[in-house]
Amino acid sequence: MFWTVTLSLLKGLGAATQLFFLTLLFALPLGLVIAFGSMNKWQPFRFLLYGQEHPGSVTSWLAGWRPISWITNVVVWIIRGTPLMLQLIIIFYGPGLWFDNNIWAFSSGRMFACTLAFVINYACYFSVIYRGGIEGVPVGQREAGEVLGMTRRQIFFKITLLQMVKRVVPPMSNEIITLVKDTSLARIIAITELIKAGEAFMKSDGITWPLFYTAVYYLLFVGILTILFNRLERKLSYFR
Amino acid sequence: MSILEVSHIEKHFGATQVLTDISFSLEKGQALSIIGSSGSGKTTLLRCLNFLETPDRGTISVNGTPIFDAADSTTKSEAEIRQKRLHFGLVFQNFNLFPQYTALQNVTLARELLSKEQGGGETKAEIETAGRELLAQMGLADRADHYPHQLSGGQQQRVAIARALALQPDILCFDEPTSALDPELTGEVLKVIRSLAEKKTTMIIVTHEMAFARDVADQVIFMDGGVIVEQGDPHQVIDHPREERTKQFLSRYAEN
Ligand SMILES: Nc1ncnc2c1ncn2[C@@H]1O[C@H](COP(=O)(O)OP(=O)(O)OP(=O)(O)O)[C@@H](O)[C@H]1O
Ligand SMILES: [Mg+2]
Repeated sequence: MFWTVTLSLLKGLGAATQLFFLTLLFALPLGLVIAFGSMNKWQPFRFLLYGQEHPGSVTSWLAGWRPISWITNVVVWIIRGTPLMLQLIIIFYGPGLWFDNNIWAFSSGRMFACTLAFVINYACYFSVIYRGGIEGVPVGQREAGEVLGMTRRQIFFKITLLQMVKRVVPPMSNEIITLVKDTSLARIIAITELIKAGEAFMKSDGITWPLFYTAVYYLLFVGILTILFNRLERKLSYFR
Repeated sequence: MSILEVSHIEKHFGATQVLTDISFSLEKGQALSIIGSSGSGKTTLLRCLNFLETPDRGTISVNGTPIFDAADSTTKSEAEIRQKRLHFGLVFQNFNLFPQYTALQNVTLARELLSKEQGGGETKAEIETAGRELLAQMGLADRADHYPHQLSGGQQQRVAIARALALQPDILCFDEPTSALDPELTGEVLKVIRSLAEKKTTMIIVTHEMAFARDVADQVIFMDGGVIVEQGDPHQVIDHPREERTKQFLSRYAEN
């Protein structure tokens, strides 16, 4: 029995791991794009300001409006302000319910839909972390580089990048550890991840220990990540 | 001929005029002190000289060559600026050392990048020797391999001075180099600046240390509200000010 359960749980772990790595693969770069979007300074109505300045007026508000940053921030706020479970349900069932067109009907459609929901959700969380890391580097660092005649590229690669990485690693490791446990949400759209695989034995054989056994896998997964991130943080601890 | 000629510099941020008609000149080997109350535009002036801000009006010439002219946009292109700003060095109030590099690496980084770009005139070893020598001049020979967080504020500021000197600027600017330091640490930094003055380094020093300004500078400028109110010999400006505003400012200093 133990080996049957283990084999079944390993399959669930496979699905969870696949979701985990796919999410990281796409959400890490997408998060950076979203972070740049939310910091975008483009002000298309800037021209309204010339010649007149009335603080508080609609024109001066419009002149200072940064649409790209504004839209990005609204999207990030909505995604971070609603449960991932809800987003998952909307993405998977939405097309079929509202447009009579279940775009996820192909063989691995569920996994696709699930990955999409996870990528969008986690990219938004990552973007906030990236932004904090980028804005956390004092402007004086850039200015010190400029005054020493460095190019923008040199300043980014030789000075600011590593300081950003150092700031980003601790919150990022928290978020990534949360992602391990969030993969269990995939069962909502009937993907057999760990929990669903364990729970199946409750229904078929009336035993509960497989469900608790899933915890071992989560703990191992999280434990390995914790060790890796601690190592990385220690590597970066030679400066402050 | 003056090494630095600044004429009719103006700068505003939005609606606030921060610098109005700033003109002065500086001779090679001389030290100029700028004093003035908070918000009078001293930092902004240094930032204009170092191309961290672009003046709205005026010209800046070094060794008789105009390097900035607000009316001539060709002097404002990024590549041009990068070359021209090397005439100046800047020591910041809060040091701004690069935390991930040792004291020595802080000093050598820019010169290594520059020498690589120009086809490698100097070897890495040569640049490092020069860097160690500079740190030794700052009294930091034994701190070359320390990271900034392992150094005291006074030591950090001396590394920052060495870093600025490494590129051999024509004019070295200091923005209140001791105001972020504990009182017992200001002495060591002032001593270093004093020794630079003795070696005839051309310097512009924004400072609140009146006694220091009087002793070290060849010329003092008093700024208030973005204009130069009074300039001249340090003993005259600080001990016998002519303008009412200078007298008021200095008497407030005498009280504290
Ligand atoms: N980036 C900026 N945007 C808007 N206003 C600015 C900016 N930088 C400086 N100012 C304003 O310009 C004025 C002069 O500032 P500056 O920092 O040059 O003064 P300072 O003489 O160096 O003062 P302190 O002795 O406090 O350092 C101040 O009123 C300040 O608020
Ligand atoms: Mg200042």
